[in-house]
Amino acid sequence: MQFRLEKRREPSRVVLYSAPLIAVLLTMFFGAIIFSAIGYDGVGAVREIFLTPITNSLKWQDLAVKASPLIIIGVGLSIAYRANVWNIGAEGQYIMGGLAATWVALLTHGMGGFWILPAMMVAGFLGGAAYAAIPAFFKTRLNVNEILTSLMLTYASVQLIYYLVRAPWKDPMGMGFPQTRRFASEALLPNIVPGTIVHAGVPIAIIVALVAWFVMSRSVFGYQVKVVGSAPHAARYGGFSENKTIWLALLLSGALAGFAGALEVSGPFQRMVPGFPTNYGFTAIIVAFLGRLNPLGVIFAGIIMAITFVGGEVAQTTIGLPSSASGIFQSMMLFFLLAGDILVRYRLKRVAPQGEARA
Amino acid sequence: MTLNRRTMLKAGAVAAALPLLGSRAFAQTEPLKIGFVLVGTINDNGWNYAHNQARLYLEEQLGDAVETVYVENVPEGPDCERVLRELAQQGCKLIFATSFGFGDSVIKVAEQFPDITFEHATGYMRSANVGTYNARFYEGRAVCGTVAGHLSQTGKAGYIGSFPIPEVVMGVNAFVLAARKVNPEFTITPVYLSSWNDPAKEADAARAMIDQGIDVIAQHTDGPAALQVAEERGIVGGFGQGADMSAFAPNAQLTSIIDNWGPHYVKTAQAVIDGTWESKDSWPGLAEGEVEIGAYGPKVPEDVVAAAEAVKQGQIDGSLHIFTGPINDHTGTERVAAGVTLTDEELLSMDWYVEGVIPPA
Repeated sequence: MQFRLEKRREPSRVVLYSAPLIAVLLTMFFGAIIFSAIGYDGVGAVREIFLTPITNSLKWQDLAVKASPLIIIGVGLSIAYRANVWNIGAEGQYIMGGLAATWVALLTHGMGGFWILPAMMVAGFLGGAAYAAIPAFFKTRLNVNEILTSLMLTYASVQLIYYLVRAPWKDPMGMGFPQTRRFASEALLPNIVPGTIVHAGVPIAIIVALVAWFVMSRSVFGYQVKVVGSAPHAARYGGFSENKTIWLALLLSGALAGFAGALEVSGPFQRMVPGFPTNYGFTAIIVAFLGRLNPLGVIFAGIIMAITFVGGEVAQTTIGLPSSASGIFQSMMLFFLLAGDILVRYRLKRVAPQGEARA
Repeated sequence: MTLNRRTMLKAGAVAAALPLLGSRAFAQTEPLKIGFVLVGTINDNGWNYAHNQARLYLEEQLGDAVETVYVENVPEGPDCERVLRELAQQGCKLIFATSFGFGDSVIKVAEQFPDITFEHATGYMRSANVGTYNARFYEGRAVCGTVAGHLSQTGKAGYIGSFPIPEVVMGVNAFVLAARKVNPEFTITPVYLSSWNDPAKEADAARAMIDQGIDVIAQHTDGPAALQVAEERGIVGGFGQGADMSAFAPNAQLTSIIDNWGPHYVKTAQAVIDGTWESKDSWPGLAEGEVEIGAYGPKVPEDVVAAAEAVKQGQIDGSLHIFTGPINDHTGTERVAAGVTLTDEELLSMDWYVEGVIPPA
């Protein structure tokens, strides 16, 4: 028996938007089965990973802090992907944003002034955008695939951190450990809920997503991005420049990733360390898709991904699940989402059986 | 959504007060809950494996008086902070953070949980409820260096390190000082991978250095990857780090430095139970049995075993300290005068290489 995928003329909107939810539910269901089958408490694993972070109020601050960089980067990526521009190197742009902000923080160390933190944020924006400009340049001038260039530049940026924290930016009081000095208080992101770790980056993430949603759904720019992405020929006839869209998509997603980097380094990290790259840029790719490339959806997706991270640690301590379990759950979620997407847009059609037909 | 978030933030403030409620002293009958934070997995057959073995030893020794949990693969950064808080909120009264880069997080979280005892392995920052502990690995390195000095044919060794922090630099120096007592021409090339556990990079570094003519390899990372390459390429050999790694390199492992954290964990847990714990730095070595030398491999002839054992015994009875002058730095300038021994403080801030080290670019 053979099957063929046939494009649906009009994918159902209800199904389109409920697919991520179904993917999460399927992940929980199959996760429970898989982990039971290999000898863990499967139901417990699902409960600890997906429910404890929501029901235990102590975990909310962790969710907020973990989700906010994912949301900011995910929003940028969702815009780029809408335009059919495949920026895979958000991790590198996040790093460059963090480094640019660090540079400002170190340069202004001991100066004092309210302007330092905003200057770091601007530096983060510019650092991320500048790094994303490289794939944009090669894409528009030489038609080099941006997937490759943006991804490979990520590894270059990691090496740049190592170089900077080992030599020019090394903490003079750090016992030789490759890290910068701790930022002065003017360069630290303020906490907005006393007694928790919730920093100013959390509301900023929500604002970024709301603004992006407004721009994408209400402005000519948003329309242009969507048209260039979904119907390049029509866009050309309509007078929208494809190159300009590529530039905008990459610069914007890079700038947001860089901004997230600036927030992270001035918030949770408080200094640049070799451990700064924590895969937020890569995880945000899943977040963008899980959020249906819609900035509002990205907020929910960011929180769901944060839940799996935080829950993964809960499951380690309470039921002794290995640390790779949360990775397995995240991968299953992406798998079910992508598989679901295929079925939403295409229908499975049986091709005329050749002899051995089965029911 | 904003409404949700706002409610959540409010609840966050309430949440912040909760640990205060939960911090009432535990009744005597309840077991002491102990958390371990690990930078890699317990299956790395090295550093984290050794800490987990010690955790099991602790459970075995103190039985019902303790209960332990561990979290693996914790990155050195804000994620560690979250894990520490998670353990604290789950009722751990004693938490061991077992990697250097956890330091900032331990200090920060310890401030929020003043009634919980934290111990940070290989760190240097202490506070009222944060102690540090380490082992004198350099004593083991001196034994390995002696073996290397005897057996190396090219007189060149490679050293795969994580970060050039004093602890690692100290190991490189001890190794080459011991080797040069046997072969004055001996040199060592360190490379730093910026990771404690990246088997692919460790193996690549080992291959590259073997291509450049080293025939002995030592590593200060968590797993056996470099040794496996040594076995595969048939060079003279290397050394197990943290645990015996002969299963991965039956011929290439010349000997191993075994970390024996168990007694320290038992002692610390008992002190917390008895209420006698106080913040200090603990730095035992071969003499106390916290650092052990494993079995010698088949390639090590008896006279070399005898020489290595003599270095070990000398360090146990105190007649030998590998950092006793005269010691020159890598440029040939004298740094330690004849007969002078570096103090622990000097060792713990060591940021220079001795003669024989070819510093990385």
